[in-house]
Amino acid sequence: MPSARELIKSFIESEGHKVDAAPPDDAGVSELLFRTRGQVFSVTTTEDDEAAFSISTAYEIPEWAREPGQNTEALERVHGRHPHVIFTLAHDGSLFVATLDEHAHSSQELINNFWSLVGRLRDAGSQAFEDIADRTESKVAAEKFINSFMMGGGQ
Amino acid sequence: MNDPLRPIEQALSDEGLYFTRDDDEDAYRVAFKSEGDRYFVVSYRDDPTFVMIGSGWALPGGVDPLDAVDVANRLNVRKKFVKTALWEEESDVLFTVELCVGTTNEVRPHFGRLLNVLRDTAAEFFDQLRPDDPPP
Repeated sequence: MPSARELIKSFIESEGHKVDAAPPDDAGVSELLFRTRGQVFSVTTTEDDEAAFSISTAYEIPEWAREPGQNTEALERVHGRHPHVIFTLAHDGSLFVATLDEHAHSSQELINNFWSLVGRLRDAGSQAFEDIADRTESKVAAEKFINSFMMGGGQ
Repeated sequence: MNDPLRPIEQALSDEGLYFTRDDDEDAYRVAFKSEGDRYFVVSYRDDPTFVMIGSGWALPGGVDPLDAVDVANRLNVRKKFVKTALWEEESDVLFTVELCVGTTNEVRPHFGRLLNVLRDTAAEFFDQLRPDDPPP
């Protein structure tokens, strides 16, 4: 019987996407990489638990927005809106990874909902990226300070 | 003669997608799937500056063709690039992006965007055909 890894790989390929498959590591964890809508996604499977999967995708944070404290708060806010998605800052805050952990009854169940899960992850990741790139609150605070300073109210 | 759809093949490779060719004496054709949905690209031998990227879908049973035409018209007014049309005795809907290009190299950097617009237009078309359905 084919493994979960092989089933998912075949499914993604049958849907039109090239898949880069790394062999399982010593712990039996393996990764499948594919692209869709310009974004690379990774599906991780575990040989010990054929029903456990995670889907991840990474977003590079623009250099001008790399403020780890502020970005951690932004990711926590978005996690509140998408509790199934876990966000992790990585590479010294230069990127963040969005991960959806899924415990399906079978790989077939995962396959049946695959694009919907990818879509959920993409929506959450895009919102997180937008929140990080949106410096509206900081700008408003800065403008208030500048206005106050220009009017002689600065300390 | 140069293959006018070669840059489209490269754009599909950029997107990480498989494709097949189905050329004949009239046209160059590329077929591919993305997230399981089927798409095609066509360029005609007698008009190589014309390129069309599209997808076709069957209308769900029970849809009033006049409702479908109404939704298509509204999308045609609002959407950039994409033409939505009912055809085959109004049982199918076709979404196409039609472009006039010097070479399809000009399309390559924009291919992802055009594919997204096609995908979003089809999704909006079917969403608007069933406005009363509960959200999934």
